[in-house]
Amino acid sequence: MLSSQVNATVDGGLNQDTLRREARRETWKAFALLSPGMAVVCLAILVPIGWLFALSLFDEQGRPSFENYARLVEQRSYIQTFITTFQIAFTVTGVCIVLGYPLAYMLSQLPRRIAQIGLICVLLPFWTSVLVRTYAWLVLLQRRGLVNTWLTDLGIVSQPIAFINNFNGVVIGMTHILLPFLVLPLYASMRSIDKDCLRASLNLGASPIAAFWQVFLPLSIPGLVSGVVMVFVLSLGFYITPALMGGGRVVMWAMRIEQTASLYTNWGAASALGVVLLVTTLIILGLFQWRLGSRAAAAWNAR
Amino acid sequence: MSTLGAALPIRIRGIEKKYGPVTILQRLDLDVAAGEFLTLLGPSGSGKTTLLMILAGFVRPDAGSIKIGGDEIIAAPPHRRNIGMVFQNYALFPHMSVSQNIAFPLRQRRVPAADIVRRVTSALEMVRLNGYGERRINQLSGGQRQRVALARAMVFEPRIVLMDEPLSALDKGLREHMQLELRDLHRSLGMTTIYVTHDQREAITMSDRIAVMNGGAIEQIDRPEALYAHPRTHFVASFIGESSFIPVDIRDGVPWFRDAKLQTTARTSSSGRYLMSVRPEKVRLAAAGGDDGINILAGVMGDVIYQGDSFACSIDIGDGVKLTMRDYCREDTMARLPARGESIRVSIAASDAILVEAG
Amino acid sequence: MTRSSLFAVVTAATMVAAPAFAQQSITVSSAGGAYQEAQRKALFTPTAKELGITIKEDTTTGINDVRLQVAGRAVKWDLAQLNGYECARGAKEGLFEPIDYKIVDTTGIDPRLVHPEWVAISYTSLVLIYNTKVYGENGPKTWADFWDVKKFPGRRALSHVFSPDMLSVAAMADGVQMDKVYPLDMDRALKSFAKIKNDVSAWWTSGAQATQLVKDGEVDMASIWNGRASALVADGAPVRFSYDQAVLMPGCIAIPKGAPNKALAMKALANFLKPELQADFSLLIANGPANQGAFSTGKIPPERAAQINSSPDNAKKQVLLDPTYWADNLVTATEKLNEIMQR
Repeated sequence: MLSSQVNATVDGGLNQDTLRREARRETWKAFALLSPGMAVVCLAILVPIGWLFALSLFDEQGRPSFENYARLVEQRSYIQTFITTFQIAFTVTGVCIVLGYPLAYMLSQLPRRIAQIGLICVLLPFWTSVLVRTYAWLVLLQRRGLVNTWLTDLGIVSQPIAFINNFNGVVIGMTHILLPFLVLPLYASMRSIDKDCLRASLNLGASPIAAFWQVFLPLSIPGLVSGVVMVFVLSLGFYITPALMGGGRVVMWAMRIEQTASLYTNWGAASALGVVLLVTTLIILGLFQWRLGSRAAAAWNAR
Repeated sequence: MSTLGAALPIRIRGIEKKYGPVTILQRLDLDVAAGEFLTLLGPSGSGKTTLLMILAGFVRPDAGSIKIGGDEIIAAPPHRRNIGMVFQNYALFPHMSVSQNIAFPLRQRRVPAADIVRRVTSALEMVRLNGYGERRINQLSGGQRQRVALARAMVFEPRIVLMDEPLSALDKGLREHMQLELRDLHRSLGMTTIYVTHDQREAITMSDRIAVMNGGAIEQIDRPEALYAHPRTHFVASFIGESSFIPVDIRDGVPWFRDAKLQTTARTSSSGRYLMSVRPEKVRLAAAGGDDGINILAGVMGDVIYQGDSFACSIDIGDGVKLTMRDYCREDTMARLPARGESIRVSIAASDAILVEAG
Repeated sequence: MTRSSLFAVVTAATMVAAPAFAQQSITVSSAGGAYQEAQRKALFTPTAKELGITIKEDTTTGINDVRLQVAGRAVKWDLAQLNGYECARGAKEGLFEPIDYKIVDTTGIDPRLVHPEWVAISYTSLVLIYNTKVYGENGPKTWADFWDVKKFPGRRALSHVFSPDMLSVAAMADGVQMDKVYPLDMDRALKSFAKIKNDVSAWWTSGAQATQLVKDGEVDMASIWNGRASALVADGAPVRFSYDQAVLMPGCIAIPKGAPNKALAMKALANFLKPELQADFSLLIANGPANQGAFSTGKIPPERAAQINSSPDNAKKQVLLDPTYWADNLVTATEKLNEIMQR
């Protein structure tokens, strides 16, 4: 008679209430397990960003105002910095693609063990500080540096080439630092391309070049997109390398944030620059997701 | 569409392939007739897939010759061989629609756009996927993907079609259905086909001839029923169908098992140690003493395994040798079945007793 | 310059008279590096010994640190070493305690640098340096020379968008008399800056970078801090510089508002400014003493005095950067400079 007693308390099936309660308890448990992570996200990301945003809406006297944003539009130097920042980011991303794609392609075609050694070489620069790497470039590329000395000694150029203290220098330095961010996801996605797909395309009559353009390249797009997004977004926030390699002639957004933070007595001035960078980055990420994300996702899902 | 008449014979001679010290294929010869459906059957590592890859041009052999209808293709790059291939995991292009996949080989051959549309449509019809042209590959089931792969491999009317375990990723029911479909397709189109599988049932169902491969060489090549009835080696006998093996000594041309003299219609040498291979369905319970042409062996009844339409039981005939007997589940046979542990006698017709080399 | 504060505890002599009492202490923040080390040896340690206290140290990168502490009502520094114009700005913002000049004796300190809430402590100069391999002994001597790209062709470096020294230099380059540089004619200085802007190969953002540019021959002439310039000369680099037309930039010290031990800090500050300690300080580092009395203590030999940027003879050749002018005009000038820079 026990079962009928249990039954009597519920409207549906046997033990329905108990099972439902258990399910709810499990949800709460999962939530409880997640809460430390969520607290970290909240404290370390959401709260500071919110604060940053709030600060940007107050002027030097602590009154609410849009002065900090108005300044960015009214003063041409900020607009120019913004344009420069994007020019650099686009150029660096482009150079990274040109250098990184063949590199990742080569690594993906090598036997795994050799490719791993190659990857370690790609990652090697990660293990030294950005400052050291940037100074190393200065030593190599300056007017009386190694490269210019060789070039002039060999008679290739008569005047030293201005590699650094200009746009070129910033691009060289940043490309060196950011290249692994493109190569790694690209390599991973190239590795995961089904070798049989390439064989199939050859078998079906595609020349190796046609097979590359029509099959390999489209299938490597997801990795390329994530690499490009990473490089582009990181480029926007670069500070040390452009400051040193650009010789002050190339001013990027992060350098303006630093300058503004010490120039103005209110944090809002620099906060506004930070907010602009953050929002711009989010918009770009959104655009990438919208334009390329769906296509990339479709290619991934197919495996 | 039909490739009938365009089908070409394949003549393979002296193919050798080594990876370092490991020999994958050893001086392999093989002839495939025009329009034939030939299966390469063997366990993994037997070299069957390597041979297929060499045919398709993805693996370069160390030596050998491959002629298709008289043309030497051993040095031709894969994209100039004009051989259709169906891959184990289909190798469909995930970034293209079904139609684009099937149109791919035609586009490479610069077929006019209108013709491409027509031929893609008829290829879709052929594999019964009308109306699926705009689907993406990830929207298809396994069987549908398989059909797209077939259509893609055949739409350009290749002289030869290679299939590398194309059904192994499908579940059992679908696999058996696709076997028949493939068979029908081959019959109607008549292209020379080389099919690789490790599934002996599949090979028997589909093939004109089967080449059983082992250790980088072809052990035996023949029609399925001939292979089944007359396996020449222990390997072939055990790989194709089920077999029990009775170790026999041949003295003066007569095989002996313990103190029993056995009869066989197979040709025997004068002496040596052999195995007598017996198919389970050829073993019968014996009523009384043997006639001429019938071997009678005494044994002890073992476990009976019920398998629905049939049952199998193992019979210990001494010296640790066990025979498997299989029969249909009919009421009368089941009723007369001896109990476990009971002493019984079984009969094997001389014509069903096949001698293979021990090894 | 590392931000991680090192709380190097300066040992004070054990007080024989009052061993039972816990020692009182103050915290001083400074610019770190060799500069702070010289301060430790010449100013902090002797003062700690004399007053019987412990002086703890911290490092700062500028006025923002003080702003943060005062705004957050969590002031941990009793004395903060800053740039002159930062002190002037901080005073405007009300970040500092008034200095009790009954305790702090400012005899010998330039009266222009004695303010109710801050006082000068040392000097740094921005000098013109040039490569003798390129120009021999007759290199650019004035900022007008520096601006004259026809007479002195070659690659140039200036400091990056730091308007006080940049515009002081630009004004002189345009022919403004040294005693008329302040109050600054900002528009004139900016116009002058615009003239040289395109001929500058590199803009340095740190002393180390300026040194590297000059040392490696990346540029042929540059503006540079006198300490860095002296180091290059001592290293045997083929360079030459002088204090003619240099910009004398005062370093200052102030007591942050709400400092925990301001009475003690006041006594320590008074001690730091004593001629004897100031003289000791100037023997250790290229930053000259704020107190001119240091030169009459007899501690500084005449040949050393000739090298010190704030010695009476050298100071005369230079323009004193006016902190109060920059407290009022820094933002406007910097933004205008940015504008021209990026045009």
